[in-house]
Amino acid sequence: MEIDVKHIAKLAKLDIPETELGKMEKELSSIVAMVEKLPELTSKESLLDPQNTMQLRPDEVKPSFPREEMLKNVPETAAGCLMVPKVVE
Amino acid sequence: MKKLYEHSATELAAMLRAKDVSAVEITKATLGRIEEVESKVDAFLTVTAEQALQQAQQVDESIAAGKPLAPLAGIPVAIKDNICTKGVRTTCASRMLENFVPPYNATVMEKLAAQGAVLPGKLNMDEFAMGGSCENSYFKPTKNPWDTARVPGGSSGGSAASVASCEVPLALGSDTGGSIRCPASFCGIVGLKPTYGAVSRYGLVAFASSLDQIGPFGRTVDDVALLYRAICGHDPKDATSREAALGEVEAKVKGLRLGVPKEYFGDGISAEVKTAVYGAIETLKGLGADVVEISLPSTDYALAAYYIISSAEASSNLARYDGVKYGFSGRRDGTLNDLYLSTRSEGFGAEVKRRIMLGTHVLSSGYYDAYYKRAKLLQNVIAKEFADAFENCDLIVTPVNPTTAFKLGEKVSDPVQMYATDVCTVTVNIAGLPGLSLPCGTGEGGLPIGMQLIGPKFSEARLLSVAKSYETAVGGFAVKEM
Repeated sequence: MEIDVKHIAKLAKLDIPETELGKMEKELSSIVAMVEKLPELTSKESLLDPQNTMQLRPDEVKPSFPREEMLKNVPETAAGCLMVPKVVE
Repeated sequence: MKKLYEHSATELAAMLRAKDVSAVEITKATLGRIEEVESKVDAFLTVTAEQALQQAQQVDESIAAGKPLAPLAGIPVAIKDNICTKGVRTTCASRMLENFVPPYNATVMEKLAAQGAVLPGKLNMDEFAMGGSCENSYFKPTKNPWDTARVPGGSSGGSAASVASCEVPLALGSDTGGSIRCPASFCGIVGLKPTYGAVSRYGLVAFASSLDQIGPFGRTVDDVALLYRAICGHDPKDATSREAALGEVEAKVKGLRLGVPKEYFGDGISAEVKTAVYGAIETLKGLGADVVEISLPSTDYALAAYYIISSAEASSNLARYDGVKYGFSGRRDGTLNDLYLSTRSEGFGAEVKRRIMLGTHVLSSGYYDAYYKRAKLLQNVIAKEFADAFENCDLIVTPVNPTTAFKLGEKVSDPVQMYATDVCTVTVNIAGLPGLSLPCGTGEGGLPIGMQLIGPKFSEARLLSVAKSYETAVGGFAVKEM
């Protein structure tokens, strides 16, 4: 099966150099070939685990992390905000 | 006489209570041992000596004040570097998180801290836990203590190597498709992948959220039980976590029915691994277990289903690394899209990109039904086959890895060959079951071989009890002198 590596890379926000496109396509194809062995299943069963109802925690108002703490790991900040390249002209 | 660092956590805890040793002495022995062998095994990414000594000092003060001691008080527990440790960098062995210092603790870290456990440092792994050899670390490959030309297994390779080389008595790792059991087996120690939901994932850097689970490593079954007991249980911060407590663990196997699935002993499994695992089954039989042959016919498809589900979830989870909020940041002189592209292309290693690409492909328009949905339906089939099998047996015995530890560099160039090493372990994650790896002999060159015990959900006490019977029967597990 053909895999459009360039298109997938665009969706994944990854830059795959031209020289590596062939190698990546070969690797993905070999993994996809493994996947294509899967049997067809017509089951309409739910994809959720019925035994695990996943209790949500109560929605309570409480203090969150201090801003300074959270900003310590931000690559670029200004005036207590995180910075990104300009997105509108 | 045994050196202090050679003692198990259970022994150290008893010595501490008898006042034969102080917590500071234990921590100094651990740090000394790390200093001594780390250049050979390369298990640690960060050693937190100063903080560890402070924590040990506090435990000694509690003892002096006559306060009651929690089971893990004063015991060094090293942590895989994908578990968030407040104030201690947590890299996931990735350039992307090289300088990331979490502002909070994972729930397991809070639980260990509440017991007074000591954190000696953070352990190497495959980048973002993707890999089976620890060679995908951005920083360095970890070596197998039994033969430093060989891999320790992965992805929790640092966890297994640090425990096997007696740098620490205990370590935490994580297991998405075998990442605890595989390295435990390659390094000749005990590793437990708990039931999905038994241990909170809050603060575990997400790889494949529906499969990931944190679990313990130790050199003895009692030690693994000790650490598992400390970390299990419901956590409001992880909606998938559930009430879980470990019952009594006592050497007990008589009358239990061991299921042996023929699909796990096929052509892909080396002769020496089969011989060792069958030998262990005979030992358990000698202890009074009954052996029944069972069948898990969908095993052949599990690997493909695993790679679809895990890669799909990884591509989604790893979308958060954008160079804006935290972590590595690429070029900022272009557009926002340029920032995303350069951050992700330079920050992630080859294997992580491969998985993101595969995951993006299987989730992309027109392919979702053919891949992801089909894999999720197969997950139901596999889980049902296990549930049916447990009607006829109490637990299942299989190999952990098809071979003993392979050489560094031997499989890095062929992803499919590398993925095939997970063939015996991924089904357990897919079905959400607990799986335990314990040593059951050695192969050529004295390399350890592991067997896997699989039980129904929340049967950790049963698995550990059977493991303990085996451990007692064989007189304990060998430790490699270094």
